[in-house]
Amino acid sequence: MAKQLPVAVEADSSEKWEAQMRKGCLEMAVLSSLWHGKLYGLEILRALERDSQLILAEGTIYPILNRLRSEELLQSQWVEAEAGHPRKYYELTASGRERATRMAEMWTEFSAGLGSLIEPVLKTARKSSRDNGRSRKEPPL
Amino acid sequence: MSNDPQVDDYLVRLRKALSGMSLAEREDIVQEICMHIRERAEDGGASTEEILIGLGPAGELAEQYRTGLLVQKARRSISPLLILRAAMRWALTGVEGTAVFLVAVFGYLTGVGFLLLALLKPIFPQRTGLWVGPNDFDFSIRMGALPVSTPQLHEVLGWWFIPVCAVIGSFALIGTTKLIQFLMKRFRWRTPLAQAMLASGALTAGWGSLT
Repeated sequence: MAKQLPVAVEADSSEKWEAQMRKGCLEMAVLSSLWHGKLYGLEILRALERDSQLILAEGTIYPILNRLRSEELLQSQWVEAEAGHPRKYYELTASGRERATRMAEMWTEFSAGLGSLIEPVLKTARKSSRDNGRSRKEPPL
Repeated sequence: MSNDPQVDDYLVRLRKALSGMSLAEREDIVQEICMHIRERAEDGGASTEEILIGLGPAGELAEQYRTGLLVQKARRSISPLLILRAAMRWALTGVEGTAVFLVAVFGYLTGVGFLLLALLKPIFPQRTGLWVGPNDFDFSIRMGALPVSTPQLHEVLGWWFIPVCAVIGSFALIGTTKLIQFLMKRFRWRTPLAQAMLASGALTAGWGSLT
């Protein structure tokens, strides 16, 4: 019989796994946020938060953008904004668009394959949570 | 610079921590962070403390920039020193990085060792070379200062020892460089930047569901 993990350890490793998963998708998320046009750092942070619920610490986005720019996946330009101060706008280069497309294709393929594998897990989990809810509602005999 | 001494102090520390980068690169980063602080203060009405906490300590922010660029440069460079520096920084992040660093150290030491043998042969011809003995595994490679102690061993290769060692040494250096660069590309998701983000809890919110 498999040894049962303490609840705290189990929760901790679930969080780590989730963080690893999100971390792995970060580059794809940043590139995708720029798909429709140029944005500056704060706009990218907000787009990620709004469209993917991916909330980054503010200091994290800029080193990533800098690295993607040095990899020539992005290009940047300082633009004098109406707000009265300049903003550094980022946009995808041709190779950035190519990379984003390839990543999106790989992600879709991967998640579709995995989706069919985890479907029975989710079905069983939903069924048991429904059953638990029903039994709680029934009055005791 | 801003009108807030707290922000000015943060930017001074950031600029200092980014030393080693080119002036243009450094000023570009500082300017962008300065504009971010200004924008956040004007737009969201956040306090300076909140904004600076969101950015993280200046030293850590600079480290993320430096590490990202170092790994990036090392992926393209052929300089063993640069690659070793990147591997050393990677080694600080976990087992994977440590393994890569050890491979790099072993590969480069092997390469340098063979090149050193090729250089020492003309200086100490009687004491540097490959000796073999009567038994299958009875052989030894010697370097300059060591005496030839066992008379039943005899030297093979002779002066060919020099080009053979030079070729092996060069292959070891080039091979190690290529291997480390391959590993850096292969494990691109697990670069120190991402590790630092994970450790500092930079990814704070959840994708509540996978579906």
